[in-house]
Amino acid sequence: MPAKLPLLSSDAADSPIAYWRDHMISRAAFLRDAVHIARQLPAARFILNLCEDRYQFLAAFAAVGINYQTNLLPSSRATLHLRQLAEDYPDSQAIADSDIERWLASKIVDNAALPVPELPADHLMAIAFTSGSTGRAKPNLKRWGELVSGAQQARQRFGFNTGLTVVATVPPQHMYGLETSIMAPLLSGVCIHANRPFFPEDVRAALADTPPLRILVTTPVHLRACVEAQLIWPEIAFLISATAPLSPALAAQAEQVFNAPVLEIYGCTEAGSIASRRVQENDHWLLYDGFHLDGDHLSGAHLPEPVPLGDIIEIYDKDRFRLLGRREDLINLAGKRSSLAYLNHQINQIEGVIEGVFVLPDETATRTQRLAAVVVAPDLDERQLLTALAERLDPVFLPRPLIRVAQLPRNETGKMTREALLALITGASSCTKIRHDE
Amino acid sequence: MSLEALSPFELEVARLLVETLHLEDIKPEDIAPEEPLFNEGLGLDSIDALELALAISKNYGFQMRSDEQQNQRVFASLRALSAHIAEHRVH
Repeated sequence: MPAKLPLLSSDAADSPIAYWRDHMISRAAFLRDAVHIARQLPAARFILNLCEDRYQFLAAFAAVGINYQTNLLPSSRATLHLRQLAEDYPDSQAIADSDIERWLASKIVDNAALPVPELPADHLMAIAFTSGSTGRAKPNLKRWGELVSGAQQARQRFGFNTGLTVVATVPPQHMYGLETSIMAPLLSGVCIHANRPFFPEDVRAALADTPPLRILVTTPVHLRACVEAQLIWPEIAFLISATAPLSPALAAQAEQVFNAPVLEIYGCTEAGSIASRRVQENDHWLLYDGFHLDGDHLSGAHLPEPVPLGDIIEIYDKDRFRLLGRREDLINLAGKRSSLAYLNHQINQIEGVIEGVFVLPDETATRTQRLAAVVVAPDLDERQLLTALAERLDPVFLPRPLIRVAQLPRNETGKMTREALLALITGASSCTKIRHDE
Repeated sequence: MSLEALSPFELEVARLLVETLHLEDIKPEDIAPEEPLFNEGLGLDSIDALELALAISKNYGFQMRSDEQQNQRVFASLRALSAHIAEHRVH
């Protein structure tokens, strides 16, 4: 790998990089913004990049790299997570949309054509966080060379190129969003829509803002909402979904509603995207070029060392595998990842909680999967417990239902079975009725 | 529990909330009209917001849109949400 790699691919110089506030932003203008922001950034080794506007995130992300600083990408906005990051990285400063806006407003307008900066391949461009089992977030180091290599693999697989615009419902701070909506425009010439549309009508409007060809980057949760919204959709070249496997039924419905192929990415924060499929054609996943699987460990391409996968897989041949299921402990809801160990640790840290445990009920066809928790905390009411949890966890991990009991259901060997917990949860309505009458 | 009575339309929206989000242990008439719906309060999240938007489009014939500031205001409470629906409903 060369020692330095450019910030922008050279073969897309004339195509816009973003649609931002009703305007197309050229790559030259983007570079001027990024260089200007680089001069304003606080002098800290790490920059916690909290920008939600995708263009401002992109410009800040690039600026941090230009200064040889490192982007910290939080896994959630939970107060505790952000506080712990500030503790773990004392030489860090947070930046948000309001900072970028202020800095860009102070920029003197010019049309200078700046040279494209080159960053060392081993520069620590970003640290992406996932929840660890011990209660503290786990850092995943992302060097510039690895990110570039991942972007090239994705470009090859999906044909990312000039003339395509990406509309994404996922945040840029997560690896999936970072790869598809930040690294793709830098390294493959696609243009991004700066908004992060939320409701189906927002998604439709964002797609309609830009000319074809359009790509919708989303998750099963959003895809289901869009499919059921009964809207008339603008023409789309293809859709990409990730964070959880799509059911063949939803994929089929989505292909019909959008009249476009629905492709899926499989990956993890440690390795980034590693494989893709179109479930309408095949239920197996095709590895990106350069990776290989050995048991449940992935290696090759840009990975400095083998990465264990979070799922149980069945290998077909050297390029293809099938997902058999999630390892029990890992939780993936609405694109947010956590583990039962982490969640259990957090609930047991709350003052007044004697013992608490999370459980993930089985998915049903009609409902999005939600967590439940069973807790022994005689002096706390449900509201106090939820408030304490909300400080520690992303809202999607808040338990529903949260059941208060006198003691946890243990069998004679002291073990708590999933079945016993699920039985408590199924009977939840009657328990809470008793509580209301108290 | 709220001491303040819900208007008939607020009660209708409260029923929709409880049904759509399967809030089995909450009675519609017990939802405090000014209480926050998200995080603390009823503890709703982004998945709920999507489900709710879908139910609103089916029942009242309009699509929810998020305009940053406005979105927080609309979902601030049952009262705010009911007022938003009353203003935008098509049927």
